[in-house]
Parts: sequence; structure tokens; C-alpha cells
Amino acid sequence: MPRLLNILTSKPNCGPVWVAFVLLGISVLNSQAKIVLTVPQQVSLSANFFSQQLTISWFGGEATTFDLIILRTEFNETVFYNTVPAVMNQDGGRHQWTWTSVEPLECTSLSVKIRSRDGITKSEWSEPQILKGRDLPSNSVQQVYPQDKVVPVGGNTTFCCIVEEGNEFRDFLYGSIKMNVKRLSRRSYVTTAVNQNLSGPTGTNVLCRLKNKLNGSVIFVGYPPLPTNFECITNDLTSAVCYWDGGRVTNLYAKRKTSYSINKRDCPDGKCVLPEWDGNWTLLAVNPLGQYSLTYSAELLHRVVPVAPVNLSATDDAWNTTVNWHWPYSSYNTLALLCQVQLASHNILLRNFSGVGLQSVFLPHLHPNTKYRVQIQCGSLNHFLKWGNWSKEFNFTTKSYVPEAPDVWMFVNRDNSVRVMWKPLTQWQSHGVLTGYEVTLWSLEENENQTNNLSPKDNSLNLTDWASITADKKAIASVKANNVKGMSQPSSIMLGLIDDKCAPLAQTIYTSSGFPLSWQHSDNSTGGYLVEWCEAVCTSDCAVDWIRLDAGSTHVSIKDSIVKFQPGVRYNFSLYESPSVSPVLIRRWQGYIQELPPSISVNLEINQQDCDVVLSWEEIPLAGRRGFLLGYKVYRVNNFSNFTLLDDLSPEMRTYTVKDLSTSTYKFTVKAYTSAGEDTGGTAAITLKQCADGLILEILTSLGIVTLLLTTVSCFCYKKRRWVKKAFYPDIPEPKLPGDWSRTQGPMDVKPFPHSMVHIIEKPEWDFSKDTLVIIPEEEDYEGEGIGDEPVDTDEPQLLRYYNQVVDERPIRPRFPDSSVSSSSSVDSANTDVTYTGIQTSHSSLVFPSDSQGFSEGFQPHSGLSLSSRNKGEGYHPQMHSVTLGGNLASPEPIVEPHAVGSEGYKPQNSWLLDSPTEGDENSPAPSLGSPTSVASTQFLLPDRERHEEKRQQPSSAANWFTNLLSSAKP
Amino acid sequence: MGNVMMAVSRTKVTAVTNLAALVEHECTNLLILYRKQENLPEDMESDRLVFISHPSSQLDTKSKLQSLHTGLGKCYSLLERAIALEEEELDGVETTEYKNTRGRLKGELLNLLKSTGGLLKAAGGKPIKVLDDSEPYQPSNLFHLKLWVYSVLMEVKFWSSTAIALLRELQAVAAKEPPKKSKKSTRSTRR
Repeated sequence: MPRLLNILTSKPNCGPVWVAFVLLGISVLNSQAKIVLTVPQQVSLSANFFSQQLTISWFGGEATTFDLIILRTEFNETVFYNTVPAVMNQDGGRHQWTWTSVEPLECTSLSVKIRSRDGITKSEWSEPQILKGRDLPSNSVQQVYPQDKVVPVGGNTTFCCIVEEGNEFRDFLYGSIKMNVKRLSRRSYVTTAVNQNLSGPTGTNVLCRLKNKLNGSVIFVGYPPLPTNFECITNDLTSAVCYWDGGRVTNLYAKRKTSYSINKRDCPDGKCVLPEWDGNWTLLAVNPLGQYSLTYSAELLHRVVPVAPVNLSATDDAWNTTVNWHWPYSSYNTLALLCQVQLASHNILLRNFSGVGLQSVFLPHLHPNTKYRVQIQCGSLNHFLKWGNWSKEFNFTTKSYVPEAPDVWMFVNRDNSVRVMWKPLTQWQSHGVLTGYEVTLWSLEENENQTNNLSPKDNSLNLTDWASITADKKAIASVKANNVKGMSQPSSIMLGLIDDKCAPLAQTIYTSSGFPLSWQHSDNSTGGYLVEWCEAVCTSDCAVDWIRLDAGSTHVSIKDSIVKFQPGVRYNFSLYESPSVSPVLIRRWQGYIQELPPSISVNLEINQQDCDVVLSWEEIPLAGRRGFLLGYKVYRVNNFSNFTLLDDLSPEMRTYTVKDLSTSTYKFTVKAYTSAGEDTGGTAAITLKQCADGLILEILTSLGIVTLLLTTVSCFCYKKRRWVKKAFYPDIPEPKLPGDWSRTQGPMDVKPFPHSMVHIIEKPEWDFSKDTLVIIPEEEDYEGEGIGDEPVDTDEPQLLRYYNQVVDERPIRPRFPDSSVSSSSSVDSANTDVTYTGIQTSHSSLVFPSDSQGFSEGFQPHSGLSLSSRNKGEGYHPQMHSVTLGGNLASPEPIVEPHAVGSEGYKPQNSWLLDSPTEGDENSPAPSLGSPTSVASTQFLLPDRERHEEKRQQPSSAANWFTNLLSSAKP
Repeated sequence: MGNVMMAVSRTKVTAVTNLAALVEHECTNLLILYRKQENLPEDMESDRLVFISHPSSQLDTKSKLQSLHTGLGKCYSLLERAIALEEEELDGVETTEYKNTRGRLKGELLNLLKSTGGLLKAAGGKPIKVLDDSEPYQPSNLFHLKLWVYSVLMEVKFWSSTAIALLRELQAVAAKEPPKKSKKSTRSTRR
């Protein structure tokens, strides 16, 4: 251009031709400048392998933009191609461009070419510049890139593995994850881990496994630093102590961990001491992933935190002390301080004190002979920032003092002896080491004193050897405690027996807060209450505890104390009113903390009583009950373990009777039970004897007595037989026949009373001879005209036959062999009470012996011997009742044949003839009684009128009995 | 062999054998923990780091014990170096089971080294100094450090196994030898 300008100024007067030439020349020059762009020269590459950046620089002429292409040399793959603006380096005029590679630059060789571009005009490509990779044949070993890299959480990292020359690639592992692989060159393989999570403390291993070899890399994934809470204080009013928190955990350790500096001074983690108070501080935290800074500003006196006091000491007394300490810095002497003292013994107290340069405090209200621990911390009073550190703990013990008066109570032992007890003084109460107790007893009656010195371990005194104490005779016991500083005030108690019978007794149920006891408040109670408790089975030295309560108390819960509550043990609780003056027992309780099944079984006794078994047992001792007995369960043991519950008895029961048992062996178990269950039970067995023996014995005894009685009566009657005969069995006068009865021996027509045969004897007009009637109820008669159609059991002696017996001097014979059952039979007619005494034989027993002489004379039995039906209605049939032996002897209907009503006259038995059935006819007035019979008869069927009247006044049964007796007794 | 057993009680040899077994057991555990911590494959091979002749059967007892003792000494030095490098390059702040086991192994290996030194001394040899004067290992990268630590642990296991085998061999030979007393009594009888 300057040249063009020169041309224009040197030829001003040329013609149009010249102008045309000039314009043509200019246009030619312009066209040549547009087409020719300079090819970038001296291209050079500079690689930063750690940052994976490739810096390309070149000389590029006049071009303003350049095309840049990066290829993987071996496979000629384009990695990057773009038009980049030219940034000219100030020193030397080189153009420069920095490219960051995704893959490590070591993975494979890269070729870089550049050309100049001006719009669509571009120069030729420069000669390729090659960045050699590590996969060149000259480097034949296996390699993995990048190594030991630290990356932030969530980033992506590409790894490449260069396979050993001659080996074979197998896989890529990120931790334990097998990765996808891309091949970059003949020996180079890459993989990319995306969105990486926190690695382990020792990093995550990336393994490249070949066929028979292994190599890898370690990558650390974490966070950049992020400290917080940066502040600075002063302890000595000169230097600065700065603190901060590390904040988020970076997950980077060892050489990769965060480093800190304050105002360019390196600091350890968390705390840094600076010798001067700068007033402004900057904390810088740095790790491989980045850095972070915090600033802080403050005035010195506003940031004072005193150090801990040192060299603590105390000037102690019994009830107070003064604690002194030192400050390590003299600057504190003018500093207004607020100090907090922590005093600890059985509890912890905090007290605040203030003052300029405070170095001692006075601590009142301490306790004698008590060990205290003291710690002190202080802060600035005017600009309190925070408490300084606690001092080291300092211990001191206050001096001793006379003990407190002990708590005294009395306990009445089972033998009514009195035990004076006092609670052992605690260390808090004793004010020093106890040397002993002094117990003074003062009898009010006898006005005598007795003093006992006891060791510090004693807490009771049994008064068995002292004067007896009764409800009337009382005494006072005073107890004083001694230590090195002297004797305590005395504690006194009035001693005397306490009636415990009138106080109501109740049960108390243990809860988590103890045994709850409650009572109604008594307005009379002004001296408070005392609750005493001990084991129910309290031996002479059993543990007894008590608690004193205010006058307004109405309840208390008793917990474990020196009386250690145990399951299965009964405890007594007694509530006393006015315990200090004159204790009155007003209530009692009993309870268990846990009921258990009884430990002792009942001692079971077993006895037989007739057919019953009586179980009996004694009460289980209190110690063995282990609970409130709810009752006893009675079991019968059937097999080895088969129990049958017989009864559940109340706890008051001590016996149980098992009734109606057969002869066998029985086993019974009685188990007592509480709410916790049954005990193992007391077992007893018994083999029952024959329980009917006694009954038989009784029967035999009764029979013997009856026999003896009968024998006695018989003897009496025998001795007095004349009188008896006269009284009960007078001779029957022979009938006086008005006609010629003797010749005409026909049947006696007796007209029976229409209603009953028995009514016959009611006819006083009838006369009796010596002969009486033997009535034989005819079988056929019943068969034919029997009452109803009732079947007749021929095996049973249903029918009685009465034979008229002749009362004469001849012996009565014969008797039927089975006539032992002969007895009087009182047939209670509906109208008449008449006793017939005779020989009764059953129908089946009518067997007449053939050799019976007596019978052969007057009575010839044959098969048809009976009162046949043909004779019905004829003759006399007074006893012809169908009598069932086991039935009702008094037949409701008198069995009287209608024809008999029409029979005529009476025929004495001695003249009776046995009529053959053929001889009789229907009109025959007398029934046939069979063959003529001479029968001795003791019956007085037809007494005379007078006797009949007498007899009607007498009971018939006794007469029958005596009649039989006499009959059998007749010789 | 018998001379050694005469000088050292069988109980002592048994105790050293048990100690070697303990080291081997501890090292096996540590390898398991290490593989688990580093996600290393089971079939990973290790490099030999101790180049001392194995106490073969052709050597005499003293030489065997010398070889064993020297190998264990090298192992101990390697383990110390491995622990130092791990603490410097890798360890976090947390106490892990791996670190606890590693500390126990170091102590037990030192005991085994001293015990074999005692046996060697009884056999007439000279125990080595525990300090290793060889140039300390410097890893090129952390993965190589991890591989090297693995190799160190494998070396410790190998030498503890070698110790067990050798000491049991000593016990077996000693058991075959007749007791001293019987020899004396035989002699006296002959006299």
C-alpha cells in the first residue's frame, strides 16, 4: 500500500490509459493478496500430562483464525477439529492454543496440524506435529494412565491401559466393576468412569488385566475443603488462638489431605496459635481438589477466655472452707473475672463468684468429715465470651464434728423381750469416725440406770438380761453416738410391750414402687407415725427397719432396705402412732414381693373309716407357705402322673373324706396352693379292707340278741306254761250237740256269713268242739273259679291249706317235713280280726309220707284231695283264701263261693269224712275234705262267745305267736 | 539335628513352631482383609522380594536355621517399610480391622524372628540384626505400592510357612533320637 501511494503521487498528469492501467494493476494486486494465506510455521507442542492439556503454538502470518486438527496418529482418527481464534503471544508473536484431552496424553501418539483461515480462504495444512504416546514399540511394558489422580465427586475420568508388547488385553476393572473398553491404538485401550462416587480411604483401584499380567492405577474421589466456624480468642491477653471446624469430610487422606494456613502461617488441623493479636485473620484451606478461605476480625478484650486456674488449695474447717488458686499470667491481675466453682460430694453444687484478678473463694455450708471435689472455671466479667477450661479437680476433706443423734426404735421379740435398735449412722451423720454407742437404760419403776457401751458396728441391744418390761413396767432407753470429737445428743425411746392383737391386719401387694401402705389420718395423732417392717418369721436377730413419718401422713411405700425383700418371704408391716412418746400399734399389713408355690408339702395322714377314706393334714409352717394359701387341692393318683382332682378345699380345711370306695389300693395327694401355684403335694396311699365286715358283725349281733331274747321268753313261757295255757289257750269245751250228731256224720252245714268266711267266727252261736277245722284251699277251686285269671306259680307256696286239728291228748302228727315254716297266719279280713293258728303248707310241699301213721288213720291223701269245685258253695271254707305269700295277706275280697252261702250246718272235723268226688253232687251240702282225718289242732277258730268277746279285745299277732310257740312246745 | 535338640528343649521348639503358626494364621487373615479392602483378584500373583536360599534339606541344621532367620528378618524389614509407606501414602484416620491385624502381625513376626534367633544361637549360629540396611523401596505410583505391599504379605506368609515346616522337621528328627537317660543307663550296665 505505501508503494501504491507512491505511484499515485509520482504520475499525476497521465491520460486515461494510464488510469486504466493503474486500476488494473490495483485490482490485480488485490486479487493476489486475497488468495495467498501464510501456512502456519514453526508449530510446536507442549504437553501437560498431569492436566492432560496440550498447548500448541505457531507463527501464523496475517491470519486471524486457524483450523486445528488433532488426530490419533496410529489409527489416523480425528480427535479434535475446529476453527480457533488466533491468540497471539505477546513475547515473540506466536499464536497459541491449549487443548484439554479427555484421555491421558500418554495413551497414544497425537498428530497436530494447523492451517490459516480467512473466511472461506484457508492456507495449506502445516506439517503434522506428533506428540508421542507411551505406546510406542520402544516402550514395551504395560502401563496404565492416569496415575494417583484426585478427582471431585461426580466427575468423569478416562483411563487407558497400554498393553505389554506381545501380551493380550483381558479387561478393565474400576474397583470390582468391569468397564467398557475402547481401543485407541494397537496397544492402547481406554475406559471412562462416569459420575464417580467417593472412593475408599486408600483410593479406588483401576485394574488393567492382561492375559497373564496385572497393572493398574489408583484414583481418589473426594471433595474440596470447606472449613467453618473460624474464630480467634486470647487466653493470655497477648497471643491469638484461632479455631475452626474442618467442615465437610473431604475423603482425602495422607498426602492428599487438606492443609491450612492463617495469614500465610501453616497451621495444624483445627487450631492455630499466633504469637500476636493481629485483629484480622484469613484461614486458607487447600487440598488437591481446591481451596477455601475464611476471615475473622475482633478486638482483644472482647475475645478473652481465661485459662484454667492452677495450684488449687483449701483451708478447711468442719462446716466451711476457703479455696485458693493461682493464675499463670500476671495480666489477669487487672482483669475482671467471673468464676464458677463446682463442689461435689454426695451431690454437685455450682456457685459463681466474681472479682478482679479473683484467686480465692469462701465455701460455707459444708458438712463435717466429708470429702469434697472442687473444680473452677472462669470467664471475662465485662465481655463474657465463654467459660475457660475447668481446672484440675482438687479434693479436700472437712474436719470432724460430734455425731448426730441416732434414730432409736424398739422391737418386741417373739419371747416378749425387747430389743432396742438404732439405725447405724451414715458417714454423713457420724461427722467423723465413730468410736461406739452408749445405751443407757432407765427403769421408771425401779429408778435404776444401766449404761452399755457398744461398738460402732452394733445397732441393737437385746434387753433379755435386764429387768423385765411388761405393759405396766416401762423403761426408757437413750442412745448416744461417739466419735473422736465427742458424744452426740441422746435419742430416747419408751420401752414397753405393745398389744398387737387389736390392730387390724391386711394384705399389701408389692408394686414397682414398693409395698404401698395407706391408712386413715387420725386427728389425735400429733406425734407422727412410724412404720416398722421385718420378716414375718422373725428370729431374735432378724433385720428390722423402720421409717418415721410426719403427723399428716396417710400413706407410704416401703422399698428394699436393710431388710432385703426376697420372693416367697412374708413380711410384716406395722404402723405405730406417736412412736416417740408412747407407741400405739394401729395397723398391720402382711405381704410378699412375689408369691411362690409352697416349698413344704402337707404331711398327709390317711385312715379308713368304714368304706370311706379320711385324709388329714397339719397346717404348713409359715416359712414354707411362701405365699398366702388359697386352699388345698385333693387329688386321687390314678397312675404315675395321672391326677384326678377330687376337691378344692378352703385353706382352713384340714381333713377330707373320700366316700364310698370299693376294696382296693388308693393313693391320694393333697397340694396346698398360693397364687403362684401348687406345691409338690403330700401323698399317702391306703389299701382298703373289706368294709362290709362291720355290717355283718352288727347283723350277727342283732340276731344273737334276738335269739337270746326268744330263748329267754321261751324259757319263761315254758316255766309258766300252765298259766300261759290258761291265759291264752284254755281248753276248748266239746260241743254239745242237740241232735244225734254222732250218728249222722254228714257235713256240717255252716252258713257262712255272706260277706266273709271270717264272719263265721263272729257268730257266737256257733259252738266249738275239740275239733277244729283244717282248711285246705282246693287247687281246682282256684283253677276253675280263681279270682281273675292270674297265673299261678306252682313253684311258690301260694295256697295255704288249713287242716282242722283235733285237740286231744294225742301228739300232733304227722307233720310235714317242710312244715318248719308253719306259723300263724293272720288273715286280716275286712271285717274280722281273727287269728288262726295252724299248719300251713305250701301247695308244692303237700307231700305226705307213706309211712305216716297218723295220716294213714284219718287222712288218705290222693291226687284229687282238695276242696273240689264240686264242693263249692258247700261246707265251710273259712280259710279258703288265695293267699300269695309275698303279697297282701288281707285280700280285699273275701273269697267266698256263692254256693257256700247256701250251705247248711256245720260238720265237726272229727266226724268229717272224706267224700269221694263221685259221691258228692251238686246238692251235697258239705264239701268234701278228703278222707277222714284225725288231726290235732291247736287252733281255736270258733271260740265260745265269752272268749270270743275277750279275744276280740286282744291283738291277734301276739296270740298267734304264743300259740305257735306252745304248739311246737307241746310234747 | 540332635545337637540342637539337646541344647534347646523340645518345648521351646514347639513354642516357636506355634508362634510361626500364629504368624502364618495372622498373615493369612491379613491377606484376606487386604484383598477385600483393595478389591484385588484372588488369583493375583506376587513378586518375590526376599532372595535368600530356601533352607533345603541338604543343608545342616544351623544353615537351615540361619536361612530361616535371615528370611524372616528380611520379611520383618519389608513389613515395617510397607506399614510406613501405607501410613504415609494411603492411610485414613480411621482405625480398621486391617490396621489392627497388621499391627499384630508385625509384633508376632518380631517375636518369631527373635525366637528363631534363639534357636540359631543354640545351634551355634549368629542371629542377624533386625535393621535392614538395604535401600528402602520407593514406589513409582500408589498402585505399585499396593502390589508391593501385597507381595510383602505373601513373603511373610511364605517364610512363616517355611518356619513351620522346618521346625516340625526338627521336632520329628528329635523324636526319633533315643533319650539321653537310656544311653547313660546302657553304658552303666555295660560297665
